Amino acid sequence: MKLRKSYLSVFTSAVLLVAGAVTAYAQAPTDPQIAGIVQTANHIDINQAKLALKKTSNPQVKEFANQMISDHTSLEKSVNDLAKKLGVTPEDSATSKQLKQQAADETKKLASLRGKAFDKEYASHEVAFHQTVIDAAKTTLIPNANNAELKSALEGAAPLLQGHLEHAQQLEQSLGAK
Amino acid sequence: MGVNERTKNVGCHCLARSRLPLMRSPQLQAHIYILAAVATVLSAVCVRAQNVQPAGATNHIVVIRQVHFNPPQMTVKAGETVEWKNEDIFSHTVTADDGSFDSGLIDPDNSWQRTFQQAGTVGYHCRPHPNMRAALVVQGTNGTGAAANAASRGGTLKWSPPTKAQELHPILVNFTAALLPLAFLSDVLGRIFRRQSFHHTAWWMVLYAAVITPFTAAAGWWWRLTEGSTLPAKLITVHEWLGTTAVLLFVVLAIWRWSIHKRDTSPNWAYLTFALIVVLALVYQGSLGGRMVFGK
Ligand SMILES: [Cu+2]
Repeated sequence: MKLRKSYLSVFTSAVLLVAGAVTAYAQAPTDPQIAGIVQTANHIDINQAKLALKKTSNPQVKEFANQMISDHTSLEKSVNDLAKKLGVTPEDSATSKQLKQQAADETKKLASLRGKAFDKEYASHEVAFHQTVIDAAKTTLIPNANNAELKSALEGAAPLLQGHLEHAQQLEQSLGAK
Repeated sequence: MGVNERTKNVGCHCLARSRLPLMRSPQLQAHIYILAAVATVLSAVCVRAQNVQPAGATNHIVVIRQVHFNPPQMTVKAGETVEWKNEDIFSHTVTADDGSFDSGLIDPDNSWQRTFQQAGTVGYHCRPHPNMRAALVVQGTNGTGAAANAASRGGTLKWSPPTKAQELHPILVNFTAALLPLAFLSDVLGRIFRRQSFHHTAWWMVLYAAVITPFTAAAGWWWRLTEGSTLPAKLITVHEWLGTTAVLLFVVLAIWRWSIHKRDTSPNWAYLTFALIVVLALVYQGSLGGRMVFGK
C-alpha cells in the first residue's frame, strides 16, 4: 500500500512537471516572436510620441517626444537589419497583441486629454511603458532568445531603455512640481 | 567723402604741429602719452588673447558607444582638449552636472570637443539618457601652466595669419576695448587741462571705435555661428546681444561726438555720462567674453 502510494505521488509529480514544462514552452516566445515584440514596442512608442508632438505645447515634453521618435526609429532600424541578417521574420504573439491592445486604450485616453493633463498622463505612461518593456526584456525576451546575436542585441538595448525610463521619470517629476 | 577730407585736414594739422621745433608742446606730449597708453592696453590684451586655445588640437578622446561614455572616468591636465566621439546609433549630449558646459545633441558619427582650463572634478551626463554618467578630472598645472601646456600641445609662437573667427574676434576686440575708454579719458583730460587737442584725439578715437566695432561684432557672430555649441549657452546669449547693442551705441556715440567736434567745443556732461555708461557696458561685455574663453 505504502509503496503504491509513493508511486502514485511520483507519477503525479512527473505529470505536473511535464505539464508545467509544456505550458512554459507554449509561453516562451520564439526568436521571430521576440523580434515582433520589440518592433511592436518601438512602433507604439513612436506613435505615442507623434501624438504628443501634436498635442503638447510644453517644450520639455516636445524634447522628450522628439527623442523617443529619434531613438526608437534608430532602434527599429537596427532590429530590422539584424532580423534580416539572421533570416528572422518578426511574428505576432500573445504578448505583442496584448501590447497593441493596451496601446490602443492608452491612445484613446490620451486623445481625450488636453494641456497639462495630457502632458502628465503622457509622461507617467511613458514611465510605466518603459518599465514594462524593461521587465519583459529581463524576464522573458533575453532568457528565451535562441540566437546569440539577438540575445546580445537585446542586452545592448537595456541601457537605452533604462535611459528613457529615467528621462521619463525626470519629466514626470518636473511636470508634477510645477 | 566729407569725412575723408576732414581726416586729411586734421591729419595735416597735427603733423604740421609735430614738425615744429616745439618738441615739448603739450599737444604733442598728450599724443605721446595716449599712444603709450594705447600700446600698454593693446599689449596687455594681446597677452590674454594669446592664451586663447586654438580649437582643433585634441588631447583625449571619449567614445560614446552603446549608450555609454568610454572611458567613464578620465584625467586630463588643465588646458587640454577632450573630444567626445559619438559612435552610437543614437544622439547624446555631454552635459556637466554643475551646468558649466553642455554640448547640445551630438548626432551619430559626430563629435564635440572642449578645452578645460579650470582644475577640479566635473561629473557629466547625457540629458536624453540620464543613466549615462561619467566624470572628468582636470588636474591643475603648477607654475608656468599655460606655457607648458602650449608647448606640450605643440603650440608655438610662430606667426600665422588669423583665419578663424576664434582668432579674429579677440584681435579686433583689442581695438574696441582700447579706443573707447581712451577716448573718454581724453575728453575728461581735455576738460581738465582745457586743451582742444585732447578733444580732437577723443573724436578720432570714437570714430575709429565706431568703424572697427561692427567688424569685431561680426567676427563674434561668426564664431558663435560656427562653434556656438561649444560655448556656455547663457553667457553667449547675453554677450551676443550686448555686443550687438554696443555696435549701435558706438554709432550713436560717434554721431554725437561728431556734432560736438563740428562745433569745435568740449563735450558736455550729458555726452560724458553716456560715454561712461558705454565704457562700463564694454567692461562687463569683456568680462563675459573672458569668462567664456577662460572658464569661471
Ligand atoms: Cu544619451
